Amino acid sequence: MSVIDKKHPERYDTPKEPFALDIENLSNFVYDMQHCIKCKGCYWVDHTYMPGMKHSVRCPSNLWKEFDSYGAFGKMRIGLKLEKNEIEWTDHLLELIYADPLCGACDVGCKRNLDLEVGLTLEALRVKAVQDGAGPLPVHKDITSDILETGNCYGAKKDRRAWMDASVKPAEKADIMYFVGCSSSYENTGIASAVTKVMQSAGIPYMLMEDETCCGNIIFSVGLVDEARKIAEKNVEKVRKSGAKVLMTGCAECYRMWKVDYPKLLNIRTEDLGFEVKHFIEVAEEALTEGKLKLVNPVNQRITYHDACNVSRNCDPWEPYEGERGWMGTVEPRLARRRGRHGLYEQARTLLRAIPGIDLAEMPRMKENSLCCAGGRGTKQAFPELAEFAARDRLEEARYVGAETVVSACPWCRSNFSETAEKDGEKTGVLDIAELLAMAAETGEK
Amino acid sequence: MSINKHAYQAIEAVVGRNYITDDPADCEGYRSGPGGYESGTGYERVMTKIAGAVVMPRTTEDVQKIVKICGRFGVPFVPYSTGFYGPRSHPHMEHELIIDMKRMRDFEIDEKHFFITVQPGVIYSQIQQECFEKGAYVVIGGGGAQTSAVANLLNDGWSPLSFRVGLPQRRILGMEVVMPDGEIVKMGSLADGDDPFWGEGIGPDLRGIMRGYTGLLGCLGICTRMAIKTLPFQPEIPKPSGISPETALQLDPKRVRWINFTMPSLESIEQAHIMIGNAEIGGAVTKVPVFWRAIAKAECKEDFWDLWLKETEESVSNFFLVRVLLIGYTSEEQMDYDYHVLCDIIEELGGKERRTKPSDESWFKNADSAGMWLMTGSYVSVDYVMDTFTQAFKQGPNYRDLKAKYTPPLMPDCKDLGWFQSCEMGHLGYYEYLIYWDQREDTNGMDQFYVESAKMNIENGCYPALLGAHQPLYLTGPAYGPGYHEWILGLKEVFDPQWICHPPLPLAHDEFVERAEWMHEVKNWETPEEFPYPEKLKENMRLEK
Repeated sequence: MSVIDKKHPERYDTPKEPFALDIENLSNFVYDMQHCIKCKGCYWVDHTYMPGMKHSVRCPSNLWKEFDSYGAFGKMRIGLKLEKNEIEWTDHLLELIYADPLCGACDVGCKRNLDLEVGLTLEALRVKAVQDGAGPLPVHKDITSDILETGNCYGAKKDRRAWMDASVKPAEKADIMYFVGCSSSYENTGIASAVTKVMQSAGIPYMLMEDETCCGNIIFSVGLVDEARKIAEKNVEKVRKSGAKVLMTGCAECYRMWKVDYPKLLNIRTEDLGFEVKHFIEVAEEALTEGKLKLVNPVNQRITYHDACNVSRNCDPWEPYEGERGWMGTVEPRLARRRGRHGLYEQARTLLRAIPGIDLAEMPRMKENSLCCAGGRGTKQAFPELAEFAARDRLEEARYVGAETVVSACPWCRSNFSETAEKDGEKTGVLDIAELLAMAAETGEK
Repeated sequence: MSINKHAYQAIEAVVGRNYITDDPADCEGYRSGPGGYESGTGYERVMTKIAGAVVMPRTTEDVQKIVKICGRFGVPFVPYSTGFYGPRSHPHMEHELIIDMKRMRDFEIDEKHFFITVQPGVIYSQIQQECFEKGAYVVIGGGGAQTSAVANLLNDGWSPLSFRVGLPQRRILGMEVVMPDGEIVKMGSLADGDDPFWGEGIGPDLRGIMRGYTGLLGCLGICTRMAIKTLPFQPEIPKPSGISPETALQLDPKRVRWINFTMPSLESIEQAHIMIGNAEIGGAVTKVPVFWRAIAKAECKEDFWDLWLKETEESVSNFFLVRVLLIGYTSEEQMDYDYHVLCDIIEELGGKERRTKPSDESWFKNADSAGMWLMTGSYVSVDYVMDTFTQAFKQGPNYRDLKAKYTPPLMPDCKDLGWFQSCEMGHLGYYEYLIYWDQREDTNGMDQFYVESAKMNIENGCYPALLGAHQPLYLTGPAYGPGYHEWILGLKEVFDPQWICHPPLPLAHDEFVERAEWMHEVKNWETPEEFPYPEKLKENMRLEK
């Protein structure tokens, strides 16, 4: 009997309702949807950090289209109707549910004050769309076919390791397995080269995954959980068999998939994967601290760092949960809410500050308040105008702080910023942090 | 659903197709509740409807045109800024139009004369940062940093920072209002040109019509621009720190400090408020509900209850804490002087300084009223009393005793006395009583408690803020007038004869009492056989039934 039950056994008789953090059943999140208070903590930058009239919003979807229905608070209300099947799926409703990069801004914003699972609810809404036969969107279905057919989200037929040149020297066997990801294998190959260069410069052995295929990020993000689970099972098994102690990604989307969504799909804790999941910036920062990585070449630039959502607020480790909700909404057993505390906020900054000549300027929206570029999780493919809008807004913010270059730790952000900048004739440069570190790292191998 | 087709097309021609919608999913996104301020109550269940359409104007002229179109086609409308004020800021009629003001976010600051001019889409935390950068600050209402300053000042506007200029209406220097017939009226000093330095304009102070003591919740037109007084601050801009949820503003202790004092008794708390006010020092003096301390310490809802249920009625009734904000407005020396004066007062009253964090989590910029929902999921401030010090102070025990009758469904609070603070440098006492419940319980008792509290105030001769549109007008009007209700209804008749501006306000709570069966047992006041609605509104209400 809980303390509450002991103290007030006769006065309150709220029936206990079982629930789980299981996105495959939207009913698990009815309490959360019912208790959204429309404070718009999901929309605004944390008020403590509010920079003034400009750059005050952290929700790209609701900044793009301003009706409440595009904000998480609007979707919580719509979700209740969907849960009861009291509203029809339409193209517009699908836009409301899918024109959203699931960037987690709403989730950490809400959880600053409350305990509501907004991020999971938004994922569950997409699963519901799929269950109802309404989702995902046609372009997402095409991507899914490409992934299942070719193993990459571009449908590319060429060798996934075509980016590797003679300078890339992975080990046959190593504690660290570098999972390159689709974007760095096919589109942003410079990132893959840079990651390996830095690893080699620091003398850290790494191996690559044999027959690497897509992590399934888009498949999972659009609600196709069964297909995503199969990918998760296969990939996790590969790492376990390899004996690697660390699975390292250079991509923020892959990082979140491996660290959070694979465990979610497999109903296990992150720590029970059998290996650690790290982003390259964690490995590099450790190497820097240990003196293995030496950043000696000056890079004379004023830069700003864009916190990619999936190495920041979206990457707290996963723990499955089943329990009961009772009196005053309290749950048993105790639930450790994922509030975005475990983001890799400092690692990237430590690395950047260690580069000679770098002048790091912070944008008003930083760390957990960062504005997502909306380039990931299948958003750009379905809503390119949203992704461009968000990238444009962010590039303007970079200019506002006088940055010459925007640096991120995610190839999807890099692509979205670069493409938008190019389209607009924007002069602000775009780099991945690995590329910048590779420029600064001591040349030669250890 | 939707609204009159011709009205929709005409409004679309004003704002463009991207800024109006009657899509059912979009309208559902604007639903009042089921969570939020006053949500989950009978009032919400009985009185609120899904909007027929939503429009987002950009300019005052857009608003004027929209309102005129509504008038022409008899489309009821409600202005909506952030939507945080629960059911009372949402549609009460079928086929009602929400005029969502969030695109109206012009902001100007006059640092020399200490005022700002804002549109309804501007929220407090934005304003506060802009003010900080110009050496000023604004009183963020208890409603929270996320609220529209215009909406908050029309209806509420109190917080601990009200210590120096307590009456929110005095911080409104001017207003531009689109009246229910579409005419634009400028009030306060905005009536005389565009220089809103003074609160008063030519002729009677019309701000009172729009706001009065508290607001009419948008049933007498739409405020499209407001000039608001700011206060001089010290020059150091507080710096944000921490990762969510542990974020705070770091204060320079030489210029800004919160200090907590343990006091020996309730009487000594009251005395401390009076003496600090008389000494004219500080930026805030407040006694907060004890359970707020547990909210601040709790990591999650379950943590809160673990902490709170360790308390007893005895421990809560013997916990006496005063929280004082000192601001070195002019210099470190002034701050030092104020601190010593404060210490003298506290020492004389037998109090003791406690170690206090050199930061602000709750009032300067954040005003995290959202945390009020952590404990139980549902919350409303059932009343605010602005009165003489003694009168306001005695409301604590009154509310405590009344609440006991309605607990459950209200949360067990160990008979906490609520929130009390000093305003206008100790010339006014402010009392606020907050109630919490789980909306999944039978909440009829909560609805009754709300009205019973108004009756208690009348009986005790207390002057509450929640008059007019917040309580049954036929209950409070005759008691606080005499004829206050007739005056309000007269204004409605003159300015909105069609009652298209947020009907059936100002009689919405009266209407609720009539419609909700469980309220009949607490109704012991006179009402006319038929409310004085215009015929068209009566007909629409009949059709909705």
